[in-house]
Amino acid sequence: MDKLLRKKSYIIAFLAPAFILFTVVLFVPICKAVYYSFCNYKTNYPIEFTGLKNYIKLFTNDETMKMAFKNSMFFMIFSCVTQLLFGLVLAALLTNIKKGRNVFKNIYYLPCVLSSAALGLLWMFVFTPTLGINKMMESLGWLENCADGPQWLFNTDGTIILPIIVISFVALWQYVGQSMMLYMAQISGISNDIYEAASIDGCSKKQAFFYITLPLIRPMVATAMSLNAIGSLKFFDLVYNMIPEGFLGNRAHVLATHLYEQAFKFNKLGYGCTIGVVLLIMCLIVTFLINKFVKVDSYDM
Amino acid sequence: MNISVDSAYDKRDNEKRKLVNGLIYGFLIFLALIYILPLLWVVITSLKDDNVIMTSPWAMPEKLRFDNYSFAWTMGNLGKATLNSFIVCSITLLVSLIVGSMAAFAIARLRFKLSKLVLTYFMIGMMIPIHCVLIPLFIQFSSWKLTNSLVGLIIPYVTFSLPITIYIMVGFFEGIPNELFEAAVIDGCSVPRMFTVVALPMAKTGFMVTGLMSFISNWNELLLALVFISKEAFKTLPVSLTKFVGPYHTNYTQMFAGIVIAVIPTIIVYCIFANQIVEGLTAGAVKG
Repeated sequence: MDKLLRKKSYIIAFLAPAFILFTVVLFVPICKAVYYSFCNYKTNYPIEFTGLKNYIKLFTNDETMKMAFKNSMFFMIFSCVTQLLFGLVLAALLTNIKKGRNVFKNIYYLPCVLSSAALGLLWMFVFTPTLGINKMMESLGWLENCADGPQWLFNTDGTIILPIIVISFVALWQYVGQSMMLYMAQISGISNDIYEAASIDGCSKKQAFFYITLPLIRPMVATAMSLNAIGSLKFFDLVYNMIPEGFLGNRAHVLATHLYEQAFKFNKLGYGCTIGVVLLIMCLIVTFLINKFVKVDSYDM
Repeated sequence: MNISVDSAYDKRDNEKRKLVNGLIYGFLIFLALIYILPLLWVVITSLKDDNVIMTSPWAMPEKLRFDNYSFAWTMGNLGKATLNSFIVCSITLLVSLIVGSMAAFAIARLRFKLSKLVLTYFMIGMMIPIHCVLIPLFIQFSSWKLTNSLVGLIIPYVTFSLPITIYIMVGFFEGIPNELFEAAVIDGCSVPRMFTVVALPMAKTGFMVTGLMSFISNWNELLLALVFISKEAFKTLPVSLTKFVGPYHTNYTQMFAGIVIAVIPTIIVYCIFANQIVEGLTAGAVKG
């Protein structure tokens, strides 16, 4: 049997399709992206190697990049903090109730599987002054005229503009279910004996949460947090679908929309690759930092 | 006397617990409303008359206008887009399951020194953001004349579905007891037959989980499809929806109907398979 399973021809035949796809669609393009990022490469022009010029321009002479970087960082920090808090609270509440746990769980998780493009449109309508929330406030008598209410998606005051904050709340609404689910999976894996022992020793439910549950799910906090961080750095669908292109100038850009605009609207393919490489490096750094500072070796139980 | 004191404590404790429980349920129900009401609002509005929507967007419709849907389906080109999405996602699902489970079988069951390394190579794919490969891939595919075709979407989608498929299927194949394979060998089974007759039927749950996940994530994918497809005839659902963005559109109800068309299939699939989906996404997330 061992001989049969060691036959080279079978091994190659079984691995080849996946391996070829992976190499052609992922590995080679990444190497190319790194190369293009050092080039002046525009559609219909020859490629010209320019060294670090793209990177220097990106970091010193690109106002949109500054905005995009700031907004992306805001998304990342906001989502890490709020998803951790809300995800934990929801997971703790849901693991403690007896009736209807599955119903609530499935409702909160639902938006995670729906199309961000469609949900983005939905929330765009909700925040359109003449249509959604403002109209409701008007009919409740809180606002004189719906058009004079807050311009949720068009207000450009402040360093972090209102539309970005609105979108970050929509993202929280959509994705908090995932964090909740991860924490719930981890909490339900904690042995009941520990809680019983603790309650015999006179430990209250609150203490049990802070001194038993929290330390034991810390590895999962690292996982969920890096997922959130990477997810919010990659953010594209909601921003693209909630703010019409070019409507707020460059103020509502994030890294992904900046990349999309540079590469496919202005045809600066090389420059787009530079943004892509910076994005990849940021993802790796963030994952590394979170794993270094949040993750601990899981406890033996 | 002691007993009566105890029971008094119990009673107070009980009342407190009831209050806390009530508060918790109140909070959970309030939150559930925030999740359901927007979706419900879209469905209701999509059935209204176009001129009512501006004057009273929060009222119930007086007359149900199902022709909004037929309008979005034909004029908004969503019918074609739904068909495209369906074709792309189904073929991707099929191909990624076949290719992924073959690779997973080789990694989990066939014996060669580099199997760990090969698995790591595939797992790296989970960490790479699609944005990073988007531009080189677009240049490559346009030179192969694969942009503006469904095949050009299916190839990258299959590749991006592979890491999670391989990861989950390796787990399933490793869980199959060795005795089954030994028995198959004694009966004169070849390796390909071992794969199709022994391994595949044992991993049905794995197929279910990975299949659902790949279908849902590809159904919702926007960025790649937006870049690769510019011809109306090949647009997928999320791409078709983007043309509704902006203040210059005129027919609101049609757009609401469009949103409903885009989310209803996923909601139905979710209602039927909620548990498998949750399991799969959690498993995938933990690894990635």
